[in-house]
Amino acid sequence: MKNVIETHNLCKSYHGRMVVDNLNLNVLQGSVYGFIGPNGAGKSTSMKMLLGLTHPTSGSVKLLNQTMNEENRIALLRQTGSLIESPSGYLHLTAKENLSIIAELKGISHKDIDRVLEIVKLTADANRKVGQYSLGMKQRLGIAMALLGKPRLLILDEPTNGLDPAGIQEMRSLIASMPDRTGATILISSHLLSEMEQMVTQVGILNHGKMLFEGPLQELQKHSHGNIQLKVLDVPKSIEVLNRQGIRTTMMQQPNLLELPPLSDEILAVLVRDLAESGAGVVGLTTQTKSLEEIFLSLTQSSGEVA
Amino acid sequence: MLKRCIIAENRKLHASPIWVMFFLLPIISAGYGTFNYLQNLEILKDKWYSLWTQHTLFYSMFFFPAMVAVYAAYLWRLEHLGHNWNIIMASPVKPLDLFAAKFVVVAKLALLTHGFVFLLYTFCGKTFAHLPGWPPIELSFFLLRGALGALAVIAAQLVLSMLIRSFAVPVFLALIGGISGILASSKGFALLWPYSLMQAGMNANKSKDVLDGGYGLFIASCVIWLIAMFILADILLKKKDVRA
Repeated sequence: MKNVIETHNLCKSYHGRMVVDNLNLNVLQGSVYGFIGPNGAGKSTSMKMLLGLTHPTSGSVKLLNQTMNEENRIALLRQTGSLIESPSGYLHLTAKENLSIIAELKGISHKDIDRVLEIVKLTADANRKVGQYSLGMKQRLGIAMALLGKPRLLILDEPTNGLDPAGIQEMRSLIASMPDRTGATILISSHLLSEMEQMVTQVGILNHGKMLFEGPLQELQKHSHGNIQLKVLDVPKSIEVLNRQGIRTTMMQQPNLLELPPLSDEILAVLVRDLAESGAGVVGLTTQTKSLEEIFLSLTQSSGEVA
Repeated sequence: MLKRCIIAENRKLHASPIWVMFFLLPIISAGYGTFNYLQNLEILKDKWYSLWTQHTLFYSMFFFPAMVAVYAAYLWRLEHLGHNWNIIMASPVKPLDLFAAKFVVVAKLALLTHGFVFLLYTFCGKTFAHLPGWPPIELSFFLLRGALGALAVIAAQLVLSMLIRSFAVPVFLALIGGISGILASSKGFALLWPYSLMQAGMNANKSKDVLDGGYGLFIASCVIWLIAMFILADILLKKKDVRA
């Protein structure tokens, strides 16, 4: 599979402070790529560098297999739709007028306006002034602007910001369906992992300008093996067995409940057999699954590979 | 590409408050000029010419730079607000075309305003000052010259408003610009400073033509200032990061 976005050691510093630090982004064609990081991690700056809105201090950007530079800028932007630091729009104009301005700038037919209004469900409010819109509606208008002209690449910066739960759900299904519907590749940023889990195929995690993890969502989920909770009848006997095997154990609040660190299946099988033989009385065994939030936290705190 | 940008820019003016300004300022300026003329009839004996000086003196010194500044500040304000910079700069158009489109729109507004000023001048001359005949054709020519001189001011104000996110600061700078224009003219540097060019072109407050014989230099100065401002705008748009 080809990369639609590729950055090579992309850096941006403001007054000597690194905001984006040697970023190597690889977004596969047809994927929905979740660009995740806390506020201030450098997501917006990175996205603005992809679009040529911000100039890199060093490093390079390739979109659709072409280097983003003065020469290729217009040709690349023609195939790209974006929503950066939303919401945007001219408040004294209607949604339709706003879209016709963007259609004009993109040099595309105004017929496309009705289609994008339909997609973001703003058809009924198309002739209302954007100044009267709710934040969620403005956000949807921003998406409509990005969708105009059926771009091959969509770059969306926190598009779910300001939406209500129903709106977020709608946006998720809209974005997740996009690669199949239009063949577009999507780079979407968020500070909420849980929001992304349901729509992305690839993930990049950014903190303090550095990429902590990049890969398929499943690979990130592999890191999700959490602690094991063990319920036994006889705690002292169990601890004896566990100590003998060198497994760190924590007593839980509830009686007869112990917490063990993540263990491989083989070690766990031997442990359960030994516990049973010692008469500790194994009643229950639960493997906790780390939520993406926890994985993210462990990634950002250790600033390295996941444990 | 420029044409598309101009169409987009024109659409932004729809339902915009700028039109209030367009009608109001020239009316205030004309009212003030006519009043001044009628109060000083004993020293202002050149009829249409005298009324012209009264109408255009304040217009070209204060009202016009301020008005152009408001037009320019308004058009950039639309982009400064609500992160619209990001949208326009991520559009597949040359950044300088975005600037040029705003220039064309402000120039169009300024030219229309000029026409309106002339209309008001003629109307006031006939209705309030009861002047005989019609304004000398030469005066509409002064107006055209003023418009040419104004182009440099428009470009300068567009650069200022592009850089300064505040609405009021560039308008204030335009007022200072207007005053600096008078000072430059009085020191004999009228053709070197953009804010003087418009005043010189309008021949405001002078019965004798300031530009008599100096057309080549006047036009050259207008063109040089204009090109300089466009080059500056292009460099700024290309080199500066978009701060929306």
